[in-house]
Amino acid sequence: MLPAGEPLIPGRGNACGRFRSVRRRAILVAVAVLLAASASAGLWLRKATVAAFQPTPRQIREMLAEATGDDLGGPRFGLPGGGHDFYFTRAAYTGYGWRGSWQVDYPKADVQFLIGLRRLTNLDSYADANGVRLTDPGLGKYPFLYAVEVGYMAMTEQEVLALRRYLQQGGFLVVDDFWGTAEWVNFAHEMGRVLPGRQIEDIPLDHPVFRSFYNVDEIVQVPNLGQGIRGGPTWERDGYQPVVRGIFDDDRRLMVLVNWNTDLGDAWEWAEHPYYPLHYSTYAYEMGVNFIIYAMTH
Amino acid sequence: MFLSLFEWLLGSPPVAFERGQVELLVPWEVFWVAAGALGVVVFFLLGYRRLGRRLGRRGRFLLGAARTAALALVLLCLLRPQLVLSLVVPQENVVAVLLDDSRSMRIPDGEEGRSRSETVLAAFPDDPDAGPVEAALGPLLRETFVTRLFRFSDTTERVASASELDFAGARTDVLGGLRRVADELASLPVAGIVLMSDGADTLIGGGEEELDETLLDLRSRGIRVYPVVIGSSSFEADLELDPPDLPSKVLRGSLLEIRLPLRAVGLAGRTARVEALDGGRIIATESVRFSADSVETAVTLLAPVEEAGVRRLRFRVAPFPGEILTRNNEQSVLIEVDDEPLRLLYFEGQPRWELKFVRRAVAGDPELHVSCLIRTAEGKFYRVDVASADELAGGFPDTREELFGYDGVILGSVEASFFSQDQLNMLRDFVSQRGGGLLTLGGTTAYGEGGYRDTPLAEILPLTLPDITPPSGEPTGGPPPSAFRDLRVLPTRAGALHPVVRLNADPLANEALYQSLPPLSSVNRLEGPKPGAAVLLEGLGPGEEPEPVLLIQRFGRGRAASLTVQDLWVWQMDATVPVEDQTHELLSRRLLRWLAADSPGRLEVSASPNRSLVGERVTLRARVEDERFLAVNDALVEAEVTGPDGVISAVPLRWTGQGDGEYSGVYVTEGAGAHHVEVRATGAGSEPDSEAPRSRTLFEAGTVEDEFFDAEADPDLLARIADATGGRLFEAGAADELVTDLSLAESGTTVVERRELWNVPAAFLLLFGLLAADWGVRHARGLP
Repeated sequence: MLPAGEPLIPGRGNACGRFRSVRRRAILVAVAVLLAASASAGLWLRKATVAAFQPTPRQIREMLAEATGDDLGGPRFGLPGGGHDFYFTRAAYTGYGWRGSWQVDYPKADVQFLIGLRRLTNLDSYADANGVRLTDPGLGKYPFLYAVEVGYMAMTEQEVLALRRYLQQGGFLVVDDFWGTAEWVNFAHEMGRVLPGRQIEDIPLDHPVFRSFYNVDEIVQVPNLGQGIRGGPTWERDGYQPVVRGIFDDDRRLMVLVNWNTDLGDAWEWAEHPYYPLHYSTYAYEMGVNFIIYAMTH
Repeated sequence: MFLSLFEWLLGSPPVAFERGQVELLVPWEVFWVAAGALGVVVFFLLGYRRLGRRLGRRGRFLLGAARTAALALVLLCLLRPQLVLSLVVPQENVVAVLLDDSRSMRIPDGEEGRSRSETVLAAFPDDPDAGPVEAALGPLLRETFVTRLFRFSDTTERVASASELDFAGARTDVLGGLRRVADELASLPVAGIVLMSDGADTLIGGGEEELDETLLDLRSRGIRVYPVVIGSSSFEADLELDPPDLPSKVLRGSLLEIRLPLRAVGLAGRTARVEALDGGRIIATESVRFSADSVETAVTLLAPVEEAGVRRLRFRVAPFPGEILTRNNEQSVLIEVDDEPLRLLYFEGQPRWELKFVRRAVAGDPELHVSCLIRTAEGKFYRVDVASADELAGGFPDTREELFGYDGVILGSVEASFFSQDQLNMLRDFVSQRGGGLLTLGGTTAYGEGGYRDTPLAEILPLTLPDITPPSGEPTGGPPPSAFRDLRVLPTRAGALHPVVRLNADPLANEALYQSLPPLSSVNRLEGPKPGAAVLLEGLGPGEEPEPVLLIQRFGRGRAASLTVQDLWVWQMDATVPVEDQTHELLSRRLLRWLAADSPGRLEVSASPNRSLVGERVTLRARVEDERFLAVNDALVEAEVTGPDGVISAVPLRWTGQGDGEYSGVYVTEGAGAHHVEVRATGAGSEPDSEAPRSRTLFEAGTVEDEFFDAEADPDLLARIADATGGRLFEAGAADELVTDLSLAESGTTVVERRELWNVPAAFLLLFGLLAADWGVRHARGLP
């Protein structure tokens, strides 16, 4: 037992020593703030510089309209004119956040992916993005759906029913760009509402979805733009391992394809970025093409 | 009554005057008498002239005519008219009696419910002392003739008495019976043949020439046939189901289209409910209402067949009140339900949703195997559901052997220029020569937009393609956006009855089902159906006239179908379609099954007849082709017939020499029941003998029910036989007349008989009448 009045740590009870200590801390904090500010300024500057070279979505659509002859009215909800065999359709769902998590990377990611899809395959595809609400009565015209940031998904009951019907009738849903345990829990919960009782299973690499157009032999974690151009860790939150999972129907047909801990959308969106690594974009395109060819044949 | 009066008045029946000759036995003295009589007539007439005022012109004519006629009659009698007849010598001539011994004789359509067989037995009683023999034909015949009885049905044989008949013959062969009797009695004096039958012949069909030849032969030999018609020629009320029209082999799970002809008599305003049963289970029903008293119509039943193997399908209608014959309210037929899947090839020029949903639709159908080939990029193909690693490895087949291995081909949206000219020709031959089915789907590079207008494929299609080449001659590169149109698709009248399109047995419910479906879309510009094509579905779009959506037609040995819409899958995916709705699946499966179901194999076998009697000859026929479906004449073809008792008989089939690839052989049935035939053709192709093509068929022996069909008595046939041979047709009760007629038949051993006619009652009554008239007129005018 220590005697009463003794300091817990020798020397700490000295007033001069305490002052020196405070000053040192202040200097350290100031240096840290300065470093952080300069780093942020550098990053902002770099981003601003890069952005200055990027075409805007409007510019992309104008280029597409000129190249394809399609009447591209811009991203929209609802039903574009018929006549094409395929519409890359973004699922618009109710979620957290002020502008809706479904819109992340929209429409540029979709449009840029379609550019690649049209070039790589002979699919007769509509060239523009196509966002459709899950409750839209015309949803069934688009048997392929792409949804992102499903970790923030909070579907209404009507959306749950509409998505269940869509999947049971033969629709195909690809989800992407959600990370870590917390977002997984939210997504699994939402899928449990849509398809109660159905398990989300790992899809082995010998599954036809990895062979439908390109041979994909490994699952790659595709980072977001920032991580991609910075290098270093590719994961977000605790989503260290990328996985591709699926929900199957009674006949073992894939209904929902889940890309967890990866962000194919960013790789499409920034495929033209000079600093975004090419192999991520290549992989993302391969996966996207495979998903669509698989969805249209199985 | 009339005949009896005639015979009493003239001393002989009419037939005697018909067969005999009337002669006058004229002595020379009679001419003097005639001259005197003429003088008397002149005297009378002069006398009447004197009395002219009191008689008037009319009275003078009447008296003159009466007296002249009376005098002429006396004069005629003095000339001694005689009827010269050629009568058979009693007990010197043979009469053959042919008695119908078939099952139709059991039909109780006589008076007071008497059966036809009872009428025959009553006419030829065993014990002459029992029953009203005076009216019986048998005893009457025996008084004058030596009778020989024969029973006939499918065969003919001599019997000692009518009691040996059992009326169990499965068929009635009138022609065979007449031939047999004529041959057997060739050396005997035959007065004639009595044919007791209902005339419901079940074997003559198609043998008209043989019948005419036989009848001519009988006539040339002087043998008259006297048919006695037994039974009613028209039932008061009867419904008869005729043999159904359906293939002998079907695919398991098919919706079998059965056309069942039926005849109804006396059932105007009534409704018949036709049931089809498979093993006691009702698999289809259809109702038909009769608008007239005598109706010949047909009902179409769509019956699902779910179990593989040999199935007996039965069809029946519950008997109506008052219907005498109910055995003809049923029909049954054996069919073989095959469970070997049909192989189809589905080729898409680009990934399309249609393929995904076709795959889903056929996934639940074990009888359909659709190998899919999709061109996913230029020169890059993706195969799905192929049976082996080699299948379609080189893309779309470019040899007949590979393509003709499929039963059907589905062409999606793929431009004609993708194919070589050889491949296009091959596709045409696939339908026309090989007998496969081709289905074309709408799409941006299909039909005219795909450049098919001037290709061999355009010949096959059931629709006409317009010329859509732009003036510059450059390809269009697909339809313009303006060509896109939504179409509300509904069945046509033909479609409502077609098994592909009729998804609900109730026509109204079927119509309502299509009405409830969302519109589909088309981008192809089409001219219209070809002559001979059937439009099953049509679409109401922006135009005033509906346009064809689903068309079918036969082309050569095969079938062609065209679906002009590009998104049939919308009927699966649309939000207005209930999840559990099966319209898309059903329609897709039925269309593909229909497309390929009739595609022949390399070895096709049939048995004729497919229902026979035990001991009858059944001809087995085979058509043999090689892998390219070219006929082969030097194959070794052998059939193995497995009888109902399990005994296997080998029957070699030999090339007929009459048609390329056609072989035949004969098998004589030995037991009653189903006979399974398996035929193997070795040396028909390049495959080893162990993989030589095999095919099966079946036939049935011993259960022929033909006698109860078309079972009304057929006096027309019997009258034709009588006319052709110089005989006469009699009713069952006219035994006396028949015997009399036979006695005057001028056949066999005859003797000439002269019958005086001057002393017949008719002459006396006429003379008395004329004189009474004369007296009456004179008395009325107060003349002496």
